[in-house]
Amino acid sequence: MGKQQTEMLKGILEGIVLAILARRPAYGYEITASLRDRGFTDTAEGTVYAILVRIEQKGLVDVEKVPSEKGPPRKVYTVNAAGTTSLDEFWQGWTFLADRVAQLRDDHARHTTDADTTDTHTTQEN
Amino acid sequence: MAAKWIETLTGSLEQKKQYKQITARLKALPEPYGTAAQAVKRYLLYAGGVFDGDIMMQMFSDFADLWEQAAADGTPVRGIVGDDPVEFAEAFAQAYGGKHWIDKERARLNQSIDDAERGEKK
Repeated sequence: MGKQQTEMLKGILEGIVLAILARRPAYGYEITASLRDRGFTDTAEGTVYAILVRIEQKGLVDVEKVPSEKGPPRKVYTVNAAGTTSLDEFWQGWTFLADRVAQLRDDHARHTTDADTTDTHTTQEN
Repeated sequence: MAAKWIETLTGSLEQKKQYKQITARLKALPEPYGTAAQAVKRYLLYAGGVFDGDIMMQMFSDFADLWEQAAADGTPVRGIVGDDPVEFAEAFAQAYGGKHWIDKERARLNQSIDDAERGEKK
């Protein structure tokens, strides 16, 4: 994943983590694994952990500590009512952005194909 | 050095005790986790900007959890901090929002711009 994609992802990772947790409660490492399965392969476990800490501080999840065979007790995160509201807002924001950005891209595509048909002898490289 | 600074910062004995415990937990980490955790902790102390003692203890306690977990699972150091350790440390500190050194300056900047705006409306 390029630098630009990493930067883009930063703003939406919290929403993505909430969306994964909304499916079912999970441990931190399960969330990282789920992200990797979905193609977010460059996501560091520490970054996910920081997001979990943040959504816990914001009161968007309920946390239960479960004793673990190795290492400290593991936390299970469950999305609560406030988290559900926050996730709804995320989807609204995402839809709004995605629609407008797609619109821009389509305009751009039309513009470049128009240029193709009018400018003979120019080669467009996409 | 950092420990001295933290003592002037956090008054309570309870917090000092907590901080000592956390330091001990980090010291007990196997390599390479110990070195990595120490390096990130140093950065958090200098640049994390968290100054509320209780929140700082919460942050470092979570921080120790993270590294103990990584050591237990054998997660590679890179897998924890990612490609950009600074980015990771800052995102980590950011999660403990609301009590940063910079907050006062942020409030001041907002206030100054509000004042300037009021001047426009006259």
